[in-house]
Amino acid sequence: MRKLLLLSPLVLALSLGALALGACDDTKPAAPGSTGGEVKTPASPEPGPPTPEDQPSDGGAEQPSSEPIPPAPGPPAQPPTPPAPSPATFNHDAPGVIPTGQGHGYLDRTVWSPNMCWPLQDDAFANSQVYGHGGGMGPAGTSQCDAVNYSLPWHDTFCEARARDNPLCAGGGTGHQGQDIRPAACKKNQYWAVAAEKGVITDIGSYTVTLTSSAAPHRVYRYLHMQMAALAVHEGDTVVAGQKLGKVSNDFGGTPTTIHLHFELRAGVAGTTTDGKAVVLHTFLPPYMSLAEAYQRKLNGGSCS
Amino acid sequence: MRLVTGLVLGGIVAAGALGAALSQTRIDPATGAQVPGAAAPTAAPAATRPGIAVLNRAPPRGGQVDWKAAIGGLRQSGGGNPAPNLNQAAVDMTRVPILLPTDGDLTAGARIYSFGDYYTITADAPGAGVSLTGTTAVVPLPAATPLKVTPMGPEGAISQRTVDGQLISFVRYGVLYTVEVRCDAPTDPRCADDNYARGLAAKTTAVVMGAAARAAAGLGG
Repeated sequence: MRKLLLLSPLVLALSLGALALGACDDTKPAAPGSTGGEVKTPASPEPGPPTPEDQPSDGGAEQPSSEPIPPAPGPPAQPPTPPAPSPATFNHDAPGVIPTGQGHGYLDRTVWSPNMCWPLQDDAFANSQVYGHGGGMGPAGTSQCDAVNYSLPWHDTFCEARARDNPLCAGGGTGHQGQDIRPAACKKNQYWAVAAEKGVITDIGSYTVTLTSSAAPHRVYRYLHMQMAALAVHEGDTVVAGQKLGKVSNDFGGTPTTIHLHFELRAGVAGTTTDGKAVVLHTFLPPYMSLAEAYQRKLNGGSCS
Repeated sequence: MRLVTGLVLGGIVAAGALGAALSQTRIDPATGAQVPGAAAPTAAPAATRPGIAVLNRAPPRGGQVDWKAAIGGLRQSGGGNPAPNLNQAAVDMTRVPILLPTDGDLTAGARIYSFGDYYTITADAPGAGVSLTGTTAVVPLPAATPLKVTPMGPEGAISQRTVDGQLISFVRYGVLYTVEVRCDAPTDPRCADDNYARGLAAKTTAVVMGAAARAAAGLGG
């Protein structure tokens, strides 16, 4: 059905500032440092020699204990005619399957990055670093190095209960914004994360690396918790799919998390709000199916180039 | 099946020092087609596997920008480039109006990375980073998946708390823009709520057009 939606009545010019972006904040942003324009220095200390046997600390989590997780009473959203399941043959849960009490998954089988390169050089295990063994909300007295964390099947963690915003998640629109991936073994600073697509490293934070794809729709991939002091890339670098970015670690702005890669996929999207209004925004997309298919291609001997 | 994707948030004259005028715009939500005088990022129709079907095809480019409104914004902001340090080649290849905050300290060391229909500007602040993006490329979400967001104001501004900061999206001149702030310290008040990011977005009013944008706008490159 076609219908015209009339919005945006004429508004007085002086009201735009307040209406456009909500309350304006007159707070002057802090002045930049004298090194403006230079590549930021990662906050992590310079590491010593490789220590593959380094014993990781347990219990770190991206879910601060001070921030309660909003309840998510609503049922998971699901397209009415879900597309065919993934052809992946390795043991992995279906997308959106999240254990009871850990939130409601987002049951989307869309492969949002259909040609994505598996973003690690080696095998890895997709599962929850918060609710899994050794996680901040995991079983008491367990270790992040427990074998269960380094075993199949994979588990989808998109929309897992977290305090951060995720408009796709059921309930109040909060939930995990990406996928947690543990490296091949419980050792930090050893396993490479690689570029998911050809693109440019557009930002490097204290524990984040942002890769923006060269090709439309210019998906944005964010890699969190790599060994920031020893990255293989700098801001502004052009990278090809499969190129080494950094090693999976537990960097989290000074407070270590568990050893894992938080892998985030974002893009500009068009959709509708719960009250039917058309909306365009930049937000998080579920990476699980893209990861599963990329991993299957790797298992099948495919390459990223 | 076509996905309803339009958004009526274009036709906005850029806010200047005293704000800006907002024009009336329309769009057909069933097709995403713009009613004359309006503009908005539009997405291709979805198919059985909407993500793949859409992502494998050419993105929307050109013709989506409300150039008339963008030119108005350019003129209101003086027509100059408040960040001459930005790579001019990247500016020139950008086919959408570039928005910059009226904050010389922040933009002085900023870097721009452009893909033509998408740009991102990265800037530094002590203990934080700021990213500004603009694009006409968007993908449609499954129609049955409502988004739990509350757009605010005529530009449909939406705040999202990220792992390390705040992400603001809004639509101006038919272009999807973002202002993202990420903080090194989890306790940094600039990222604890969206006040700082919204304030930054509110003063992101300077319009810059490089050669490609000027050509597309009919300004002669």
